[in-house]
Amino acid sequence: MRIAWIGLGLGVALAVQTTLAQMVAGTGAPVDLVLVVVVVVAIATGPLSGLWTGTVGGLLQDALSGGVIGVGALAKTVVGYLVGQFGAQFMVTRPAHQIPVFFVGSLVHAAFFIGVYALLFEGDTIVSTYHDLLIQAATNTVIGGGAAIGLQVVPGAIERRQLRRRWPSRRPGD
Amino acid sequence: MIDLRRRTGTSLVAVMIGHVVLISIQINTASGVGVFEGMAFGVFSEVQRAVSGTASTVTTLWDGYVGLQSVQAENEELRRDMAKLQLRLQRERALAQRARGLEELLGLRRVVGASTLSARVIAGDATPYFRTVTIDRGARDGVRRDSAVVSPDGVVGRVVGTPTLQAAKVQLLIDRSAAAGALIERTRVAGLVMGDADERVLRMEYVSNLDDVQVGDVVVTSGIEGIYPKGHVIGDVDVVQRGPGLYRTIHVRVRVGFTDLEDVLVLVPEPAVGLTAAGGE
Repeated sequence: MRIAWIGLGLGVALAVQTTLAQMVAGTGAPVDLVLVVVVVVAIATGPLSGLWTGTVGGLLQDALSGGVIGVGALAKTVVGYLVGQFGAQFMVTRPAHQIPVFFVGSLVHAAFFIGVYALLFEGDTIVSTYHDLLIQAATNTVIGGGAAIGLQVVPGAIERRQLRRRWPSRRPGD
Repeated sequence: MIDLRRRTGTSLVAVMIGHVVLISIQINTASGVGVFEGMAFGVFSEVQRAVSGTASTVTTLWDGYVGLQSVQAENEELRRDMAKLQLRLQRERALAQRARGLEELLGLRRVVGASTLSARVIAGDATPYFRTVTIDRGARDGVRRDSAVVSPDGVVGRVVGTPTLQAAKVQLLIDRSAAAGALIERTRVAGLVMGDADERVLRMEYVSNLDDVQVGDVVVTSGIEGIYPKGHVIGDVDVVQRGPGLYRTIHVRVRVGFTDLEDVLVLVPEPAVGLTAAGGE
């Protein structure tokens, strides 16, 4: 069941990234929604799920983009693993603690991605400016933070609603 | 027997080795991993088409509703514009007929023609690092690898990878690994335009410090790379500086609005047609 949810999350992230994000922010929207899903999964479930989510999401993203297949997957695998390990070692259950993880994860991903391309093509192919990378990391953090808050708030709200339906509160004097 | 569920480090090493092998295969061979790329692109382009179609329907409905408020005034303005354009079209048609007659008279041959095919952009790149888009035309419509893609404003890019039946991936000219042969229209100085970090600007390389290039010069395709037909507008020279070596530093501002591309034209090659001019062979 968990795998199905992760797969659905990756599919939705890819669809939104390639269509709606481009409509809103134009070609080359400064956001990586697949990376956001990888970090969310890694924090919630650990390094193994994180690395496999990174692998699958990264491979799909590479296949749909104009780059070499495997580079994005490698970067996301490493980020998924590292974030998962970090989540297992430290308490990062609160959204406030997760926000820096999204930011640092985005920077680590960019470093790996650009680094591998620099190794393959002598640094000439992918040269994003630091400004672009920071904007991208900030956007990922905002969306990731929103998702983290949503994931923490929504299940509790649903549970409370279900409980209220089962045992409706009685007013005094009833 | 190793339990991979417990040994995450082993899994990480195994997966990373897999990625490195995958990357190495593509770097060593020109074709790349066609099967995986083709399958993923083929399946997902249908999802993209559906999402894009739904979003576009919602946008159209909303635009239609909001647009009703000013539609009457806009209609009148459009009618006036259409009348002007019809006049201009007649004039252009007359000029084209005259040019065609002159071309035949001079004995020029049209060896390979190209017909255009309109296409809609249905998706952008899956990563923020590359500049590719997906269009809703594919092999079924005659789109091939390296088909040139243009818009009324200028050159857009070329088809990369193998198109599926109903979709194709287009590398935009502003992608950092894209390039095209180019000419300064005024002086016919040749060079090569390449994508740069800035999305609205291309670098023009291999133009000698001795050549005459000025800010505002129009840059057009030279057709030397065999992908883009000669004479299509790329952009205007924005910066010209004397370079440190043999070549000038030239920045070309593109005319196409790459950030909000919606409709493009794909140049689909026609079978070779030999037109013998009057008085020719």
